[in-house]
Amino acid sequence: MAPTFKDELLAAIPSLRAFAMSLAQNADKADDLVQETLVKAWDKQSSFQPGTNLKAWIFTILRNEFYSQMRKRGREVQDSDGAITARLAVHPSQHGSMDLDDFRAALETLPEDQREAIILIGASGFSYEEAAEICGCAVGTIKSRVSRARARLQEVLSVAGEGDFGPDPIAAQVMGSNAA
Amino acid sequence: MKTTATAAKRSQKKASGGSDALGANSEIGRKLKQYYDELISDDIPDKFADLLRQLEEREEAQPARQGE
Repeated sequence: MAPTFKDELLAAIPSLRAFAMSLAQNADKADDLVQETLVKAWDKQSSFQPGTNLKAWIFTILRNEFYSQMRKRGREVQDSDGAITARLAVHPSQHGSMDLDDFRAALETLPEDQREAIILIGASGFSYEEAAEICGCAVGTIKSRVSRARARLQEVLSVAGEGDFGPDPIAAQVMGSNAA
Repeated sequence: MKTTATAAKRSQKKASGGSDALGANSEIGRKLKQYYDELISDDIPDKFADLLRQLEEREEAQPARQGE
């Protein structure tokens, strides 16, 4: 027997909740978001086309719910003042390695549009096209948000880029002449 | 170091799909997955399944109103 709509919703809950957590950054808010999303999804059941991507569909609902709640609260999360700038510098515990807490703190410093883009692409497993649909924007917009997010994370975490794990400039000088 | 090189080669092949800059051989890409996997493996509160059950019961109690 084909899975029912309810079965499919149930199966989507863990990833839906993970997405909610990464947006809301708070377990209670995330759970509220998931609950609200499930109710909305249930009521909009007839607008879901069986055979299409239910996960993308329900992520879209959750995302819309998140932004409409934010608007009601006056966009308190916006990166507009010193509160977030103060947290900008995250120092990895040891150079070269960062732990998950460092990473989590760095993620929090991203503006929501960049954070959701990098999560959808890099963690939730959506294609750029699907992410664009979920966020209601162009594929190119998602691509640029992902790359800005990545650049900012690297900056905040002082992680060297791909193939660029060399020592810092001073250490390089000390270590020898073949540093270009 | 050998394992790192092998892993990097393998993920190069895999990353040809879409998430280029976030492949498994990037530190950011790996952390992102680790962060998300931890969230996904969290215990899911029963309230979500309960909610869906209630929604289902509600629907059964009052048959769907078509085309409002």
